[in-house]
Amino acid sequence: MTPAFQSLTIPAIAGIGLRSPHIKEMLSRRPSAGWLEVHAENYMGDGAGVEALERLRETYPLSVHGVGLSLGSARGVDHDHLQRLRKVCERFQPDLVSEHLAWSVADGAYLNDLLPLRYDEEALAIVARNVETVQDTLKRRVLIENLSAYIAFADSSMNEAEFLAELVERTGCGLLLDVNNVYVSAHNLQYDAEAFIDSLPSDSIGEIHLAGHATNQVGADTVLIDDHGSRVPPVVWTLYQHAISRLGPRPTLIEWDTDVPVLDVLLGEAMWADMLSASIMFNRKQAVRRNQSAGHRSTPIRLPVDNEPTTSMPVLAAFAAARSAGPSVSATPASIEEQYHAAA
Amino acid sequence: MLPLEHLQTTMARSVLAVEPLIAAKMLTAGTADPLARLRVYQNNTRSSLTAVLMAVFPVTVRLVDERFFRFVASEFIRRHPPVESRLARYGAGFPRFLKTIDTLSDMPIVAETARLEWTIAEALDAACLPSRTLSEYDSTNLGPSPDIVLQPSLRLIVSHWSILSVWTAHQQEAAIDQQSAWIRRPQRVALWRAGDNVRLALLDRANFAFQHSLKHGLGLEHATSRALAHDPSFDLVSALVRLFGDGLVTDVRVCPRPFSN
Repeated sequence: MTPAFQSLTIPAIAGIGLRSPHIKEMLSRRPSAGWLEVHAENYMGDGAGVEALERLRETYPLSVHGVGLSLGSARGVDHDHLQRLRKVCERFQPDLVSEHLAWSVADGAYLNDLLPLRYDEEALAIVARNVETVQDTLKRRVLIENLSAYIAFADSSMNEAEFLAELVERTGCGLLLDVNNVYVSAHNLQYDAEAFIDSLPSDSIGEIHLAGHATNQVGADTVLIDDHGSRVPPVVWTLYQHAISRLGPRPTLIEWDTDVPVLDVLLGEAMWADMLSASIMFNRKQAVRRNQSAGHRSTPIRLPVDNEPTTSMPVLAAFAAARSAGPSVSATPASIEEQYHAAA
Repeated sequence: MLPLEHLQTTMARSVLAVEPLIAAKMLTAGTADPLARLRVYQNNTRSSLTAVLMAVFPVTVRLVDERFFRFVASEFIRRHPPVESRLARYGAGFPRFLKTIDTLSDMPIVAETARLEWTIAEALDAACLPSRTLSEYDSTNLGPSPDIVLQPSLRLIVSHWSILSVWTAHQQEAAIDQQSAWIRRPQRVALWRAGDNVRLALLDRANFAFQHSLKHGLGLEHATSRALAHDPSFDLVSALVRLFGDGLVTDVRVCPRPFSN
């Protein structure tokens, strides 16, 4: 019998992908993780992992991430698989459900990889129809994730971002922005990663993914492989910073699928994502306050913060702001903390 | 321009390397060679599915050496790719495929051990229901032939080879005396999921027939007669105590008494 879970909304903070080596520790420690995401296909049976997830679901908000629906398949989605996904959603009652803008089934075979589409009107009509089928079946909006790609099709008539924007328009689906995928594809196919993010409909982005990638040298070609097998690299953090600056905080997932490290490494990456996001929002609010303060004064003054070294850490930034504000702002720890919470 | 379905079929066959590659002019990859980039997808598919098979068949990997296993797995993946994205179901045909490998023709125990490992994988993906105790039925009139319902994860497997001995010997890192383990000796194995683990037990012919009949819902009376046919000294009480003791009984249903005049 399916237990009735309390509705737990996924907050706009970082969560982690639940992987089997961590399940026992998650059950015993119940660490402070904002939320969990699982691959739907791993929970379609009745094994021990399913029982464990039911227990974890009592504590953590949950996102179900499909990897096998093959939304881009010209022959449509597999009805049986969609029904299995529906049962997973009914069983675990996740707050978010997502899939990929990709195909993995053709010619009767499942390739266990996410392949790119030819981005044109024919594919758009097919994917839109498939997404509508999924949303009708699940009776909810799903988020569609951008792809990490190594090739593209010469006959595409639009780019992936344009395709996704049109898909949102036609189906009302949301988007899952995988920042690592943007970086990997932009490098491999040579386009501007920030411009890709900027051209997505920002209001539709309901979740962000972060992960590491591998760098392979094949002759003269440096190809980035989306292997989810390492820490989020600095270049991806930088792109994440760009995304959060534009979008504001979003639920952000740390993905790690190969060479999975100890749980604390994932939790540490999630904490870093939270700090980075909080720092961006803190600095943004500080800037707004400075501008408002400048606007209210009759004579222009030089803002003290302009002379201070900038820092991306919210606590340090708070100290810097308190110092430079001088006597008008109390420098007691309580005030600093208050200011930080107000900003974050 | 190819219709999308045709294009995807061509790509899928290219990724599985069963047909000549897709025309390079249809692909782009920045300044890189698109056909070289296509190999990324070929590698991803082969390596990820090989990893799936290695996780399901760890003892088979040790029996034949990892490099040979990877070679055989690649052939299996190319000829028999998954037909669905639920990878817990991928590998059912692998033991049978091993039987077709010429190099393994004088080592039938390899395919038989793989068959046991696949059965274990099936059990681990099955439900583990709360078990009942004998004492729960102390004051219940169960009638002449109650229907005993067993754990859905229970699997029964019979082999001409000593598959359980081989499998058990490879659960430790100790050196394996393969010659003594590879014995042509029939073994009947019952296995079921218990929490995160699987439990395995050797059965004699009578107990195997007994559990087999119960598993297929044939009722206690039929199961007992099948067991007695194999062994006139079959001990029904011991068999029932064992079933309950192993946590295999999930329900006992009273069958309606047939109408008689």
